Amino acid sequence: MVWHVRRRVAALEVRALRPGRRDDLALLDKSVVFPDNKPGVLPAAQTLASHLARLGPRPVADESLFDALDELDLTGRGGGHFPVARKWRAARDGVRSSGRSAVVVANAAESEPASAKDLALLVQRPHLVLDGLVCVAEAVEARDLVLWTHGDGHPLHGRLVQALHERRATLHEPVVRLVSGPSSYVSGESSAIVRALAGGPALPQFTLEHATSGGVSGAPTLVHNVDTLARIGLLARFGPASARRTSLVTVFTAGHRTVVEADETWRIVDAVRAGGWSADESPQAVLMGGYGGQWLPWAEAAHLAVHEPTLRSAGTSLGAGVLVPLPTDRCGLTETARIARFLADSGARQCGPCLFGLPALAEIVVSLARGRASRGDLRRLQRWSAEVSGRGACHHPDGAVRVITSALQVFGDDCAAHRRGRPCAGSRAPGILPFRTTVLA
Amino acid sequence: MRKRAPGSRLVVDPVTCDGIGMCAHLAPDVVRADSWGYPIIAGDTLTTREERQARKAIAGCPRKALLLIEHCGP
Repeated sequence: MVWHVRRRVAALEVRALRPGRRDDLALLDKSVVFPDNKPGVLPAAQTLASHLARLGPRPVADESLFDALDELDLTGRGGGHFPVARKWRAARDGVRSSGRSAVVVANAAESEPASAKDLALLVQRPHLVLDGLVCVAEAVEARDLVLWTHGDGHPLHGRLVQALHERRATLHEPVVRLVSGPSSYVSGESSAIVRALAGGPALPQFTLEHATSGGVSGAPTLVHNVDTLARIGLLARFGPASARRTSLVTVFTAGHRTVVEADETWRIVDAVRAGGWSADESPQAVLMGGYGGQWLPWAEAAHLAVHEPTLRSAGTSLGAGVLVPLPTDRCGLTETARIARFLADSGARQCGPCLFGLPALAEIVVSLARGRASRGDLRRLQRWSAEVSGRGACHHPDGAVRVITSALQVFGDDCAAHRRGRPCAGSRAPGILPFRTTVLA
Repeated sequence: MRKRAPGSRLVVDPVTCDGIGMCAHLAPDVVRADSWGYPIIAGDTLTTREERQARKAIAGCPRKALLLIEHCGP
């Protein structure tokens, strides 16, 4: 088969280029630290020349890439962890039945304030991500290639423009459009991207049809996270046999976001330590996934493998890849109250659950954190959580309910004390979670 | 393709819906209002009687935010 021949050739080329093949199969060269609340400087960008010198040219994607995806069982990072190959087949069927060419989108709009994995990847391997995007376009016969980012003068923007210019000057491949959306929390949601690319606002929308069959103005559309695309860039070169099943994880601790590439053999405790948790004592709990994720008691989370299928069977998820260990001297309810308020403020305000439900939930969690919630408030919190869940056009309200519900379980003892009007000492300490992405020069 | 499920389902476009609440009055067996007046619709397939109510709710919705799906799509 053509695939195997090409794979072997590519592998040989690389072996001739560098002896350290294992390094080439990693997404990140090393873990990256983004200090918060201090203007910093982005590390030097990778040039196209150095990318090609390291990995060699990108093979043309064809049918065999579908099989490779199946074999690796690569899933998306959009929360649903949907198999990538299934999405591609749906899009290709859509192209064939509608006669329209597909749209493929690299989603680089990283909205989680505590996350920096996409940023790290785009700084270290922008061309690997773009290789992946072009591979997807070739596989599903797409003509419109989009790199979707947050706007507002993000420092990454100039880097990406430069990377696209380099490719246009050097490579014969479809042109990638760089489109910047607003830097709102929901603008990275795939239906919001689809809506914006069709000329609408960058807000989630209600659809009966999946974007793979009817996305941007009805064209079959694939939206992939940059993390997924970088993996596709490697998979197209080296095949599934040598692919490493790693996860990009951002650990937020002591005001720093550290991005590490966690092997599937790592446990949460290993990732948190590699991400800079240096205290002798263990954290009391860990926030898994992001602000729409869930709290887990440390004793329960520490020894789980950083491997999505394992985590899913344990009833949790890596979500957006964020891990926030909570020090013992801080109050989980107070942190959750700040999350709840942030999520209520950053909703699209389109659907009832987001417009009324989230602010109402946030208000109760805030009063609980301050030791002012009544029994009735807690009953309302439960009832409203059930009412709000699963009823928005996107999953934003579901995430808010998930994180609040998990906090009530994990910090149950604190919850009882707060309810009796005796908030813990930690609730007076300054919060640890970030609510704005880092300013970088 | 998924198998065709018998019966139909009532669906609301939550973006278009303004929580006016006509549907909960017109189709009380299918729709109940949440704490803010927005419709909560059980995802079950409708009986003939419920479907009759649902059609009334669709016609009566001032925002035209309700849809009847005749068979389950993916």
